[in-house]
Parts: sequence; C-alpha cells; structure tokens
Amino acid sequence: MIGKVLVANRGEIALRIIRACRELGVRSVAVYSTADRDSLHHELADESVCIGPPPAASSYLNVPAIISAAELTGADAVHPGYGFLAENARFAEICERVGLRFVGPASGTIARMGDKAEARGAAAEAGVPVTPGSEGSCESVDEVKRVGAEVGYPLVIKASAGGGGKGMRVVETEAEIDAAYLGASREAGANFGDGSVYVEKYLERLRHVEVQVLADSYGETVTFPERDCSVQRRYQKLIEESPAPDLPEDVREGLMAASAELVGSLDYEGAGTVEFVYADGEFYFIEMNTRLQVEHPVTEMISGVDIVAEQLKVVSGERLVVPKDALSPDGHAIEFRINAEDPLRNFLPQAGLVEVYNPPGGPGVRVDSHLYAGYRVPPYYDSLLAKLIVHARDREASIRRGLRALDEFAVSGMETTLPLHLAVLEDEEFRRGGVTTRFLADRELESEGGLLRLTRT
Amino acid sequence: MPEIDENRPLPLREVEQLVELVRESGVGEIRVRQGETEISVKARPEVPATPFGNQVASGTQVVPEGVESEPSPEMDGLHAVRSPVVGTFYRAPAPGEDAYVEVGDTVSAGQPLCIVEAMKLMNEIVADVSGEVVEVLAENAGGVEYDQPLFYLRPDEQ
Repeated sequence: MIGKVLVANRGEIALRIIRACRELGVRSVAVYSTADRDSLHHELADESVCIGPPPAASSYLNVPAIISAAELTGADAVHPGYGFLAENARFAEICERVGLRFVGPASGTIARMGDKAEARGAAAEAGVPVTPGSEGSCESVDEVKRVGAEVGYPLVIKASAGGGGKGMRVVETEAEIDAAYLGASREAGANFGDGSVYVEKYLERLRHVEVQVLADSYGETVTFPERDCSVQRRYQKLIEESPAPDLPEDVREGLMAASAELVGSLDYEGAGTVEFVYADGEFYFIEMNTRLQVEHPVTEMISGVDIVAEQLKVVSGERLVVPKDALSPDGHAIEFRINAEDPLRNFLPQAGLVEVYNPPGGPGVRVDSHLYAGYRVPPYYDSLLAKLIVHARDREASIRRGLRALDEFAVSGMETTLPLHLAVLEDEEFRRGGVTTRFLADRELESEGGLLRLTRT
Repeated sequence: MPEIDENRPLPLREVEQLVELVRESGVGEIRVRQGETEISVKARPEVPATPFGNQVASGTQVVPEGVESEPSPEMDGLHAVRSPVVGTFYRAPAPGEDAYVEVGDTVSAGQPLCIVEAMKLMNEIVADVSGEVVEVLAENAGGVEYDQPLFYLRPDEQ
C-alpha cells in the first residue's frame, strides 16, 4: 500500500479522499489556497500546505506548487479528485515524470479520451454504439453538411475538447450550419484553446445514463449497474440515481458489456465513467470521464463498494477484489446536489457565512459535505455545498426518504438548491421515473407559500 | 451583544434598528452613545479557525504552529517578507557559501534575502522594503508554503 497521498483538490471531494485514506491507514496531505484557511480538508488531513492565493489558476491549478508540496511532504501519490487537474493529461504526465503515482489512468489515456472526437473513434473501434455522426473532427462547413445529408437533421455540433455545453450548437436545417459551425468553433477555441468540432445526430428526447467502471493493472475490469443523471440544468447534473428507473434488463446488460469492452480496449487503470444517451430503446456512447465523478456515492450505496478506497488500492498495485453480488443493484439510491445557488434568481451563485448547518441523519442517509456552522463559503470556486444521498429498498421508498431528508436539511445564510429538489420529488413525471434531460427546461419554477413548485410550460 | 446602562429601561427598539443596520450594511460593529447609554452591536464574531480542536494535535503542519496567528511583531511596526511560492528555503546562494543576510544586517529594497527552490527553479526572494533584518523565521533547507513569513524586517524611518 502507498504511504502518503497528496489530495489536489478542495471541498467535499477532498474530504471524501482524506476519509478513505484514514480508513486505509494511508497518510494524507491537503493543499489549500489562502481563501481556504478555515476549510475542513485543511483541518482533517494529516499534513497541509498552502499553495497559493484564492484564484484557482494560482492555487488548485498551480502545477509547480502542487508538485513542490508533494515533494516537500514526501507524498507517493496524488489524488486529483474531480474538476481542477483531474483530467489534465499534462499534469498526469508531470506526476509520472517526477515519480509520483497519479491516481487515475496513464496520461496517454487521459489525453486520448479527453479528445471527444477521438473517444468516439475508440468507442466505435471497440464495437460500442456511437451516435450517428462524423468520424473524428469536422474540418469544414462542407463536411458538416455531408454528415447532415447522411444522418439527417437536427444535428449537434460539439467541441472536441469540450464539455458542459460549451462550444455546442444545435442545427435544425442545412441553412443554419454556416453560422453554427463558426460559433461553436470560436466558442470551443475561447474555452478550451482548441477550436476543433465534431458532429452528431441530435437526439431530443433522451436520457443520460452512465456506467461506473474500475480497472486494475492486471487487466481486471469491473462495471457497475448504471446511473441515470437526466435531471440536469444547462448540462449540469442536479439529481443522479441508480439503477435507472424502468430500464429493460437487456439494456442494462448491454450498457455494462459495452463499457467493459471499451475500457478493456484502453489498457485502463483506476476509476472511470462511460457516458451514454438512451432514447427509444437504443443507447449510444457520448464520452468517457477518466476520473472519479461527483455522483460516485450513488453507486457506492447500491453496491457496497468504496470506490475511492479501490482507487487507492489499484494505484498501490493491488488486485481489484469486488464481490459478484456488488454488481447487481441492492435497492435504489438517489443523490441530490445541494448548491449555493438561488433557484428563484436564475441560479445566481451565493457566497458568505453559513449561519446554521444541520444535515439530516437517520437510516439510509449519507451527506458528503465540507460545511460547518460558521464556515464562510468563498466566492472563488464551484457552488457545490453538499451531496445528500439516500438509499432504500426501492425507488418509491428512496423518494420518500429523500423528501424526509431534504426537509430536515437546514442550511441558513444563503439560498440553496434544497427547495428545488423538494419540488422535483413532488413532480408527478419524476415520480413515475424515466424523465428526459429536458425535464427542467420544460418546467417553470414557482414560489408558493414559501415552497417551490414545478409547472410544465 | 448590546451593552446597556443598567438603570434605564432597555431601548430595545433602537437595538433592533441597529441590528438591522449592521446586518444590512455588512459592517462589523456599530456603537452609539446617547447620554449615559451606549449601545454597541457587533456582527456575529468570526468562528474560530479550528472547528475540530482535537484535529490540530494530530496534524503536523509544514509551517510551525502559530506563525500566522501571531500578529504582535507586525503590530510592532515589523514587516514580514513572505514566500511567494511553495518550495525549499535556502539562506545562501549555494551550499557552503555565506548566507545572503544575517540578523542585524541592513538591507535595501530589491536586495536578495534568500532562495526558495520549487521544481528545480531557484526563486530569489528580495526585500520589498529597506530596513534591518530582525528575525529569520524559516529553517534553512526546510519546506515553506505559499504566504509563509520568512523574515521580519524593521523598515527604515521615512
């Protein structure tokens, strides 16, 4: 087992990793910016190093400072968490070069799957269904038009280096291509420093499903039952659940087998997620995330596997030992992302003092959070305050448990997405299960007697 | 908490207004005096930096404990030169050579004080004010973090 891990992240995920280290008897090193001096990850780690001023570019993205901190503290490995440097192939490569073990796949694999057009190619090669569209990136408007004639409209133009909806344009007819191609390409260049784009058929009524994978350095790959992350706002996931409601068993098996094929073809190591869209009984690969994901606890709850601990074992060169029964879902789990955003003011990010913090408890409730009463939420980083995960024997019971736990959850000092989650759980269509990614976009949020309500528009 | 003269009826309306004012304005404290009555309303105090007291003992910091929470030297008019990077602190330009500065030396702004090495890069740290070196705060060849005080200087009288 490795002896000491530097956690190159902050907030709830840094805590999650530090907790796994403690349980495994591995020492942990926290890094923090001057804005995070009062943060729990700084308090709970065995050692900590201040790496820079508040802006992420000077601290949590500051590669020389993080590598120096690892050297000073004698860390053997670096866990990047999610976001920040987690999918930065260059950072993984530097770690490899200075003899630090990077918790994740090899830098070459990160680079390959980070290029969305190339990842599509890898999936197709492994026999995984991909959305009909271009092979690789599209170099010109004419190429986009050729794909459009082949697969039909509407089309979506996406950034090869992208994610989160940036550098993305939907085109309904051929006439719209010129402007959309230029716009997507320019936006991609501005956001990712790479203007290349690719094209896919645009599927409108779809669900977002994904498969958690774990692989060790001996070629063993494990795929877990799928997560459904269709409740999104502007391509940001808000609620994730597992298993996906009403998914036919053969589709589940197909998703897991396809993910195993793809990961097996990559010489992959560590945790990862293969993302798909699912519509009309068919699923298509969209991308692979070569890191731990925000919603990994959903899988942990229904499988009983500690994914972060497995990551640390894999990076130590140990073999994966996952019991067979972990691979069929035990009950149902739902995760709610509690963000410091005001749902009634266009999800305006909030910062400031947390006056009261009283997370829910009781059976089947897990809260991953870095909050405490008196903590000041800094304005520099993302708005995730807490993840509430509920687990019960079936979906209906976990929805009831979710309502109970959300109602108990007290955070004051700022607006949060808590009331939005309550509104989603009261929505009839959500309760039936199997909503599409249009779910929130098709609804309006109304305030009614201090509570929020969703109404279809 | 409001401080109120004991002999008078409590001017609760005024206190209420002040609380509102403090909350709305975001200032730390408002103090009002009228005759013998003084009302002071403070915003909720900053929470202690360590929510879990017992964790501190088990955590070993790269920075010696208490360096940051000791404002007294700076209040005495001393100026702290802080590390701009995470790295290894060296008092001399090369092993075996004399230290750049010793306690008691007078330095001028721009004069090198030490080196902080980060990823094989030698970062020369210079004095940002002219004055006398009062204290060397970091240990030679030890690790320093971002913003860690390295030297105390007593700035020259202008």
